[in-house]
Amino acid sequence: MSVLVRVPFVARVPLVAALLMVVMGVIASQQVLLALNRVQDERIRELANLHVEALSVALGPYVLRQDVWEVYDTLTRASGQGGGRRIAFTAVAGMDGVVLAATDPARAPIGADIAALAEGAALPSELTILPDDRLLRLNAPLIYQGREVGQLVTELVVTDLLSNRLAAGRLLIFGNAVATLILALAGYFATRRMLRPVQSLTHHMGASGDSPVPFEPGEIPSGDNELSRLFHIYNRMVAAVGEKNQAERRLAERERFVSLGRLSSSLAHEINNPLGGLMTAADTIREYADRPEVVRQSADLLTRGLEHLGDVARATLDMNRLDRQDQPLTPEDVQDLRILIGPELRRRAQKLGWNISAGAKALSGLPAAPVRQVMLNLLLNASAVAGQEGHVGLSVTEEGAVLRITVEDSGPGLTSEARRRLMSDEALPPGGGLGLRLVHDLVEEYGGAIEVARLEGRTLISAQLPLQETAEGGDA
Amino acid sequence: MAGSCRGDVVSGAFTMSRRSLLGATAVLAVPGILRASQPLRLGITPVFLDNDVTILAALQQALSSSLGADVQFLQRRTYEEVTGLLLEGSVDAAWLCGYPYLQHQDRMQIVAVPVWNGQPLYQSYLIVHESDPAEALEDLRHGVHAFSDPDSNSGFLVTASDLAQMGERPEGFFSQAIFTYGHRNVVRAVAEGLVRSGSVDGYVWESLAAVEPELVARTRIVTRSEWLGFPPFCARAEDGDDPHVQNLRNSLITLDTTEAGRAALRALLLDGMTRGGPELFDGIGLRMTSLAALR
Repeated sequence: MSVLVRVPFVARVPLVAALLMVVMGVIASQQVLLALNRVQDERIRELANLHVEALSVALGPYVLRQDVWEVYDTLTRASGQGGGRRIAFTAVAGMDGVVLAATDPARAPIGADIAALAEGAALPSELTILPDDRLLRLNAPLIYQGREVGQLVTELVVTDLLSNRLAAGRLLIFGNAVATLILALAGYFATRRMLRPVQSLTHHMGASGDSPVPFEPGEIPSGDNELSRLFHIYNRMVAAVGEKNQAERRLAERERFVSLGRLSSSLAHEINNPLGGLMTAADTIREYADRPEVVRQSADLLTRGLEHLGDVARATLDMNRLDRQDQPLTPEDVQDLRILIGPELRRRAQKLGWNISAGAKALSGLPAAPVRQVMLNLLLNASAVAGQEGHVGLSVTEEGAVLRITVEDSGPGLTSEARRRLMSDEALPPGGGLGLRLVHDLVEEYGGAIEVARLEGRTLISAQLPLQETAEGGDA
Repeated sequence: MAGSCRGDVVSGAFTMSRRSLLGATAVLAVPGILRASQPLRLGITPVFLDNDVTILAALQQALSSSLGADVQFLQRRTYEEVTGLLLEGSVDAAWLCGYPYLQHQDRMQIVAVPVWNGQPLYQSYLIVHESDPAEALEDLRHGVHAFSDPDSNSGFLVTASDLAQMGERPEGFFSQAIFTYGHRNVVRAVAEGLVRSGSVDGYVWESLAAVEPELVARTRIVTRSEWLGFPPFCARAEDGDDPHVQNLRNSLITLDTTEAGRAALRALLLDGMTRGGPELFDGIGLRMTSLAALR
C-alpha cells in the first residue's frame, strides 16, 4: 500500500477499482474451478459405482462359485470393451481376501492377498481426483443378490478427466483474464472519468498561487452532488480570498495615513508654535515700520518661521505624494524623517541619535516610499516605547549589497505581541496597530530580513534590504 | 470343431426309439410326416475357436444337405451336461470325448471318429508360458494349473493319470487347479499368465497355431502324451442301427465326398471321418485305470 500512497489520488482510485476487478476475477475463477472439480469427482464416483455394480452383477455368481476362469474371462472382456480405456486394472477376491483373478495376473496372481493391492484405495463414494493422479484406485465390496460375496480393487484411468480439467482451467483462466482486463480497464477509465472534476479542482488550486481563479459556470459538474457542491464551495472560497486580499490592501493603505494621523497633532503644534512668534513679528513690523533694523529683524524672523513651516509641509506632502511612489530613495528623504519625527520626540523630551553613513548612490538602489514607511514606522514605534526623556536612534549603513536600517530605543524591549507582528506571517488578532506588520510585509516584499536584538538596555530592530542595481541615483 | 466332443445323430427320418422313450403317442400316430420334418439334434460343448459359429454353420449345412433334414446343435458348457443330454434322449447324438464315452461305454455306441493328419488319433499337450523353464510335469509342482474339463481326456485325464503314476493328485501337486471348460481358454490362461501350466487338446493347440499364431506362440509344449483316440461322435447304444444313426454315420463318413462336406472339414482342419471302433480308445482306458487305482 505504501507504493499506492505515492500514486496520485485520481490515479489511485481507478487503480484500486481495477485491482478489485482482478481480485474478483481470480476469486470467480477459483470458484468455478472448485465447482468443476466437484462435478468431476461426482462423475468419477458415479462411474466407479456403475463400474462396481456392473462387475458385481457379472462376477457375482462366479465369485460365489470361486470360478477363477469365468472371473478372469469376465474381467478381460469387461476391460476390452467400452470401459477398457477407463479401467486400467481390476482384481477380484472372495470373502477370504484371496485373489481369484485379475486383469493383470502378473501383478495380482491367483492366491495373492488383495489387501496389498488395496493399499491407498478409496471407496467409490469417497473418490477424489487429485492433480497428480493418473490412476484412481478404489476398493469396493462385491454385492451379489443382496449379500457380500467378495471384494474388488480396481484402478480407473483419469487422465482424460485431468486433461479436461486442465483444458477447462486454462480456458477459464484465459477467459477470465480477458474479462478481468476489460472490466479492470473499464473500471479504471470510468472511475477516472468520474474523478476528472477532482483532478481539475486540484489543478486549479495548485496553479492558482496567490490569486486563485474561480471555475466558469460551464466547468462546474452538473447536478447537486458532492462534486458540484465542492466546486461551488471552491468558488466561494476564491471570492472570499479575493475580498480578503482587497481588504488587506485597503488596510495597508489606511495604515499609511494612520501613521501620518499620529503625527498630525504634533504637526499642528509644530505649525502652531511658530505662529505666535510670526504674528508677533508681523505686529512688530506694523508698529515699528519706521525702524528699518527692527523691520529687518522681524522680517528675518518671519522668513525663518515660514521656511520651517514650508519644510514641515513639504515633508508631510512627500510622505504621501503619489507621483513619488516609484522614485529612488534620496538623502533628503531620510532627512525629512527627522522633521516628521521631531515633534513626537520633543513632546516626550526624547534624545535622537542620528547616523546616516550610507551614500546617495547606495540609497538610490531602493524605492523611496516603502523605505520611508519602514523607517518612519520603526521610529514612531521606538518613540512610543522609549518613554519620557528616553533615547531613540536611527542608523542607516551600507553593508556590501545590503542597506541596513537600525532603529534603537531605550524602551523595555518588544512585547511578544509586537514581536509576532514584526517577525511572523501569522494572522493578526483584531485590534492593535498595524505599523509593525506593515514593516514586516514591506521588508518581505523587497526580499529583506528583520533582526531584533537587545543590547545594553536598548532594543535594536534592524531591517536589511538588498540593494538593487539601478540607474544612477535619484533626483538629487 | 471344437473341443473335444461331439455328439451325433440323427433324427429326421427314423427315430422311433427315441420317440418311444419320449412317449409321444401323438407322434406315433403320424410317424411319416414327423420324421420328414424332425430336425436332428446334435449335442456339442463350447468349441475352441473364436469363429465357432462359422465352423458350426459349415458343418450344419453339410449335414443338413446330406441328411435331407434340419440339423440342430445343442451346446452345453461341460461334457457332463452334454453326456446327460445324450443319455436322457434330449439329443440324438453328441460329439463327445473318448473319456466320457468310456465312462458310459455300456450305454453308448460310436457313430464316427474324425481323422486328423491321416489318423483318428490325437495327443494331449502339457503347456506352459513360453518363458517358463519347466521341462517336465514334475517341474510344475506348486504352480496353478488349468484343466479344460474334468471329463476331458486331453484336458484332464492325461495329466491326472500322469500324476497318479507319480502318486500325486492334482489338488495336492498343484497349488491350485482351475477348469476353464474350453481348450482355447486353457491356451489363453497359460499365454496370459493367469496360470503357470495347462492341459490342452493337441489337435486344438495345433489348429489354433494356424488360426491364432500370436496366442499360441506365447505358450510352449512341455510334454506330449501318446497318441490316443480322437474325440468321437456318439449315439445311444440302445438306438442300435436305427436309421437315424445309420444316416448320420453315412453322412459323416462321406463328408469328404461333397463340396459342403469338404468345406466343413477344411474349417475343422480335419481330413475326414471314419467308422472307428471301441479299440481306438484303449489308451484312454488304461489311463482311466491308473487314475482309478489312486483313488
